[in-house]
Amino acid sequence: MKRSLAVNILLALTLLALVILVALPFWWVISGSFKLPQDIIARKPTFFPHSFTLQHYVKLLANSAYTTYVGNSLIVATFSTLITLALAVPASFAFFRLKFPGRRTLFRIILLAYAFPSIVVLIPLFGMFTKLGIIDTLPSLVIVNVAFALPFSIWMLRSFFATVPKEIEEAAVMDGAPPTVILRRVMLPLIAPGMASVGIFAFISSWTEYVFASVLIISDDKRTVPVGFAGIIGQYQIDWGLLLAGVVLAVAPVVILFAFIGRWFVSGLTEGAVK
Amino acid sequence: MRNSSLLAFAFVAPAMLVLLLILGWPLVSAVILSFQDVRYVGTEPHWVGFANYIKVLSGSKLLSSIGLSLIWVVANAVLQTMLALAAALALNERFRGAKVARTWIILTWIVPTVVVVMIWRWLFSTSGGMINPLLIQMGIIDRPIGFFASPAGAFATLVFINSWRWFPFITLMLLAGMTRIPGDLYEAARIDGANAWKRFTRITWPLLKPTLGVLAVIGTLLSFNVFDIIWLLTAGGPANGTRTMPVLIYETAFKGYRLSEAATVSVIATILLLAFALITARALDREEN
Repeated sequence: MKRSLAVNILLALTLLALVILVALPFWWVISGSFKLPQDIIARKPTFFPHSFTLQHYVKLLANSAYTTYVGNSLIVATFSTLITLALAVPASFAFFRLKFPGRRTLFRIILLAYAFPSIVVLIPLFGMFTKLGIIDTLPSLVIVNVAFALPFSIWMLRSFFATVPKEIEEAAVMDGAPPTVILRRVMLPLIAPGMASVGIFAFISSWTEYVFASVLIISDDKRTVPVGFAGIIGQYQIDWGLLLAGVVLAVAPVVILFAFIGRWFVSGLTEGAVK
Repeated sequence: MRNSSLLAFAFVAPAMLVLLLILGWPLVSAVILSFQDVRYVGTEPHWVGFANYIKVLSGSKLLSSIGLSLIWVVANAVLQTMLALAAALALNERFRGAKVARTWIILTWIVPTVVVVMIWRWLFSTSGGMINPLLIQMGIIDRPIGFFASPAGAFATLVFINSWRWFPFITLMLLAGMTRIPGDLYEAARIDGANAWKRFTRITWPLLKPTLGVLAVIGTLLSFNVFDIIWLLTAGGPANGTRTMPVLIYETAFKGYRLSEAATVSVIATILLLAFALITARALDREEN
């Protein structure tokens, strides 16, 4: 396919604008985190750093519970992801393949739940969890994250079930396989990319969640990365180097994870969603 | 048949139970709370009828926050959709590195909000930030400006930051819509001598419109709910210029310690959102038919 010169120029300009918009802020942050303090606040921005130091990272790891926060976040995000998948896969299979009274209504409710203003339930949930005695525990965060990730996950998975050719399923039905076996043996392997996408969605949602983690968790040693990070901001008002190092360390785990399975997520979104 | 219904319920029930307990029941509690007088979690409630509603509706805070939420939602929807459309059109083209670009454009969305806030607070700051020196070097301004100093400035800056975070998500959804447009349509148009602009206005745009409609609705609802970016950057200020509905709810509950009033605002917000969702769902349905 050949493009005209004008379209090519337009394309190049748009791509350049995108790189500036998305990548440049990250480049500034990463390079800033390795600069000496006086270079960070220099009057003239430099594209390539003039100095190199690890002092901000050393200070961050020595003076804060950063590794604890990362550990907590990993636990919360991993369990949220597994439970979301365990609940969403059978539910969306049922919504897509099985007939039962109230199916349409229930599915509409799930779509509405996706747009639900989470701040509305913050106050009652706080009271509820206090009564149940699970306030200030990591499981309370897992429960909340699962509830918020579920609606979109069920929605997304449903369109993956839709891509499975009907003949494959019919062949299994002819063989006399019950729905549970069809789901496990036939469907699950075929919707593996969908499950990967939903898994990444649930993981990232949990990893980035701030509001509930800041209200439901009280002790410092149970904080997740976003809340712990916000605490560091409050503690050291103007130590930009320390904060930039914190940014890099908070982003690194998700970026590394995304480097391995990100394309699953993107192809999942672009093949499965908006139906 | 009966068996299959039972199985379906067994499959759906666990997920529905979680949604019911974590979203449904708290919503009911919020409604109950709005008819009571409770200041702190755990205090003994007593019923006050519509007193909270009368108080909230007669004050000026609610109206101004509804107005700000409305401007917020529209401004974000416009900026996000424009950025996303430009990005999606570019990334839909074939060029070297297109696949990598399509994967990594989502970068702004996989980063925790707190980090987004941190990045931009630094970049926009008057001491050390990159934006001010850059604008001065380019000759656009001659002295550093405080992006968060005035209500309008803070609001516009927040719209930019929030759109920056969310437009890649919309971009991927748009790309999804574009990949579903059959390639031979473009081939045929090309043979007929249609230029790039014609191909966009005659093929891409009309076929993409339903996707754009759905995304505008999702984008609107998601923007309405945005709380953390605003709270962490401006806490609703300056001069309450960025106090949208979610900010007002949080502020009333956890800074003012008036839980019942906060619940009342929550209920009003939910009703407004629900009305919006129902009206647009109907409009989209009609367009499809």
